[in-house]
Amino acid sequence: MQTLIINGIRHQVDVEDEMPLLWVLRDELGLTGTKFGCGIGQCGACTVQINGQAVRSCSFPVIAAVGAEIKTIEGLYENGYHPVQQAWIEEQVPQCGYCQSGQIMATTALLKNNPESSEEEIEQKMTNLCRCGTYVRVRRGIRRSAELMLEQEG
Amino acid sequence: MRKQTLKRRTFLKTSTLAGAGFAIGFTFDPFVSLATGSGPSVSRTKGEKLGLWVRIASDGTITLIAPSSEMGQGVNTSLSMIIAEELEADWQSIKTETAPAHSDYKNPNNPLQFTGGSSSLRGFWEPLREVGAAAREMLKTAAAQKWDVPVNECEAKSGKILHKKSGREIGYGELAEAAGKLDVPSDPVLKSPEDYELIGKPVTRLDLPAKVTGSAQFGIDVRIPGMLFATVRQSPVFEGEVLSFDETAAKNVRGVVAVVQVSNGIAVVADNTWRAKKGMEALNPQFKDGKTADESSMPGLDSQQVREQFLAALDDEGKGENDAEHAAAGLPFLDLEYEVPFLAHATLEPMNCTAYVRDDFCEVWAPTQNQEMSMDAAKDITDLDEDQIRIHTTLLGGGFGRRLETDYVKQAVTVSKLLEKPVQLTWMREEDIQHDFYRPASMSRFQISLGRDGFPLKWENQLAAPSILKRYFSPLGWFGFDPTSTEGADVLPYAIPDFDFDYSLVDPGVPVGFWRSVGSSHNAFYTESAIDEAAHTAKQDPFEYRRKLLAQKPRFRKVLEKVAADANWGRRIPEGHGLGIALHKSFASIVGAVLEVSANASGNLKMHKVWITIDCGKVVNPDTVRAQMEGGFVFGLSAALGEEITLKNGRVEQSNFHDYTILRMKGVPEISVSIIENRTLDDDQIGGVGEPAVPLAAPVLANAIFAVTGKRYRSLPLSKHGVSLI
Repeated sequence: MQTLIINGIRHQVDVEDEMPLLWVLRDELGLTGTKFGCGIGQCGACTVQINGQAVRSCSFPVIAAVGAEIKTIEGLYENGYHPVQQAWIEEQVPQCGYCQSGQIMATTALLKNNPESSEEEIEQKMTNLCRCGTYVRVRRGIRRSAELMLEQEG
Repeated sequence: MRKQTLKRRTFLKTSTLAGAGFAIGFTFDPFVSLATGSGPSVSRTKGEKLGLWVRIASDGTITLIAPSSEMGQGVNTSLSMIIAEELEADWQSIKTETAPAHSDYKNPNNPLQFTGGSSSLRGFWEPLREVGAAAREMLKTAAAQKWDVPVNECEAKSGKILHKKSGREIGYGELAEAAGKLDVPSDPVLKSPEDYELIGKPVTRLDLPAKVTGSAQFGIDVRIPGMLFATVRQSPVFEGEVLSFDETAAKNVRGVVAVVQVSNGIAVVADNTWRAKKGMEALNPQFKDGKTADESSMPGLDSQQVREQFLAALDDEGKGENDAEHAAAGLPFLDLEYEVPFLAHATLEPMNCTAYVRDDFCEVWAPTQNQEMSMDAAKDITDLDEDQIRIHTTLLGGGFGRRLETDYVKQAVTVSKLLEKPVQLTWMREEDIQHDFYRPASMSRFQISLGRDGFPLKWENQLAAPSILKRYFSPLGWFGFDPTSTEGADVLPYAIPDFDFDYSLVDPGVPVGFWRSVGSSHNAFYTESAIDEAAHTAKQDPFEYRRKLLAQKPRFRKVLEKVAADANWGRRIPEGHGLGIALHKSFASIVGAVLEVSANASGNLKMHKVWITIDCGKVVNPDTVRAQMEGGFVFGLSAALGEEITLKNGRVEQSNFHDYTILRMKGVPEISVSIIENRTLDDDQIGGVGEPAVPLAAPVLANAIFAVTGKRYRSLPLSKHGVSLI
């Protein structure tokens, strides 16, 4: 039995220690907002946050997440859109939307760590794949998110 | 203008509008639980009425039963805008559901019920306006009868009928039941484009709230109580068969419940997808090599051999010659050879399908572009009738043509039928890359004679490529005919006095399929590179050169001029920078692009900005047009820069995103889009937007690289030539 704290809620699961967190979320707990894309940590569709850091859950054994604060896309919406979600709507970022949970979780972690990330830093750190090619809007979404987050703090 | 549309109206009266009448009533809703895919709660009422387009609920909620698959192209929003416009609905009250598999939802422009070929707005533009207008008139009549006033005193606005004389108003929801009992008007008056309040305005997409909160349901997200999870392994050699496997080892893996042979492979079923994957590793299936593998009689197929087959076909076809007179006059003659590789679709949502087959009923939840062939597949495997099968189209995590195929649907239905349980079957990425229906590789040769003025006198082009359509309709193979291979090269807008195009159908045995923009995905690279080479050979500006060749083609010329003006073509550009230009028509839309690049000392490339102009005739949601131009262009750039499927001994060499490299955000240029709208065009002159930007990327990039480096790349991907992004 493992105890996981996901979006502030405790969950008990009974799975193999090496099962990637992704499949625990999706197939054991029904939290399907986190997506499967490649299984080798390449595409970022499975990005979640563990203790505030962006992690590719397809390559992250569940045992390593025990005791940590896990945040998924389902936990981002609290009394309304998170600023990153708000920015994604304002900039009309998603197309098919499949990669966007991961893009949003990666952006949220990036801006939380440094809301004034430079363009270069953003390009280096945002390596999530989008097959629809929404990158120019993801970039705009990140800029708008940063503005909204600063406004919220201010 | 009306001549061609009358035929379509007849179709509507007999089929669609009859449905619309029913749909206006709110008593009918068996599809609610189905379309959301929320569970196996199935209404099996015999009296279910299909052919429904719009449902108006008593609370005023208006639901469009959307006939197209939503795969990112924003189609549900665009189609809803058309309905809402004519219906005078309150936009906030609009919802969408995806239609079931039924012939009433077939796009009138397509042979089957599928979403592809950038055809949704082109096909549904007229029928949906008529449905909306008819529903609006029926609501007005219902209100007039209720108030006992003449219909022409009633006005529809924002989801209400108003009677200004008496100051009364009533919501659509309250009128729906009465309206549903009225006759459907035979020829409802459509709104005049000047009165449009939604069409042509950038409307916020309806599907995005769910897509930013993680609640959007893709095929892979379907959850049915008691559902099992499966994965497959298929023969690494095309059409190979399963030879042996260790079932005991697989069943010793925790959670594994069954091993099932499926077409072209084997499935492991477990209580969790990861356990199915572990089970598959333990099963360790071995395959008997198929027709493209190394057998005693024949060496295994590899990429070099495919290339040799193309070359042999092109040699058979023969090249155009430089006429003696032309040569003697010392006039330029270009002899060019281009090639492109096989490409994978690599939709980010891997292939998957959920099926629940029982004795007398079958449900399929599929992220599919092809409802009709999914229905056919389910019928074949289950032996059930059409009315015992439901195909639920979920959201698609990308389509790009891959999901017109039904291989994964067949596998899920097969497994569920055997186990009599709901089963979700998901491919690992490795299966997806190695068992695609690939964008065909091809080669193309040009022999172009330029006149004294530098313009082409004679243009001879030979294409060698596999046929996609041959798989669907084999007689095409006998005649060596396939418009999906030749589109974009067989007709050019440029004024060329002597034009010749030949196609050689080559079949190396590699499965090929529709890949976003299909024939244009390679032919635009060929033709727009060749015309650029002609311009440079003639020492003319590539924009002016094209412009002069378009003297008789005002729509093309206008697009070219607009995109050149946007890019400020002819300006002084910074040292080390260059501009490329390209123009191409596909899916009834004309797109032009200008790309600014620079190269550093070591030859690495930076793409600064791309300007895109599209003339797609009518525009429903301009922000969607922009999004599709941006995304389509990036999709094309990704392929041009770094995507390639290669073969060795009958097997695909790539397996995942580490070696099938898709463009990431780094290096993607700024994109500026202009839309040329022409509302006066006939209704059938509405163009597609999902695909037409893709073909521009490769040629505009190759042309820009030539402008800045003087190097002409005639094969893709450019990574093979050492081109990389800063």
